[in-house]
Amino acid sequence: MNNRIREYRARHDLTQDDLAKRVNVRRETIVFLEKNKYNPSLKLAHDIAVVFGVPIEEIFIFD
Amino acid sequence: MKRGVIALLVSATVLATTAFWFFGMEKSVNAHDIMSFAVIIILVGFGIWFAIRRFSSAYKGEPQEDELSKRIVQKTAAWSYYISLYMWVFMIWLKDRVTMDTEQVLGAGILSMAVIFMLCFIFHKLRGIRHE
Repeated sequence: MNNRIREYRARHDLTQDDLAKRVNVRRETIVFLEKNKYNPSLKLAHDIAVVFGVPIEEIFIFD
Repeated sequence: MKRGVIALLVSATVLATTAFWFFGMEKSVNAHDIMSFAVIIILVGFGIWFAIRRFSSAYKGEPQEDELSKRIVQKTAAWSYYISLYMWVFMIWLKDRVTMDTEQVLGAGILSMAVIFMLCFIFHKLRGIRHE
């Protein structure tokens, strides 16, 4: 699974720290997500999509 | 915060008892003792690093534990359990081939378990958790 978190984060002018705080995870988790080293839970994927105001499938791309 | 304090307390206790054992030994220090001491110092360092991470997260106002950190610990525990089983089988094989006291074999086994846990933790931290 790939994701476009880095791209959307840049569009919304958010730092990793800002996004981590908004979805209530550690910054390290955002780093792992952006490096595709972690597949998030449905809840976290949903929370991230809500922050960017787009559907989940816009951010997370299933191969 | 609570787990950070516990990790710090455990590390301090281990360090104090190890120092007590090491400096209070009546017999001369041999290579096995020095190796055990070095491994304990590495494990205590790992415990202190873990506690500092928790404290720094609390200081920054971020959660000390989230879904990723929980999964890393779960996976580390599962892996280290399986690897430790093989390690004990190896220790049983080894005990008939080298001259070691029972307490030395047990001590080495317990230390090895801690080292296996630490290595599994580092492995999962570097590799991440994917495709599961």
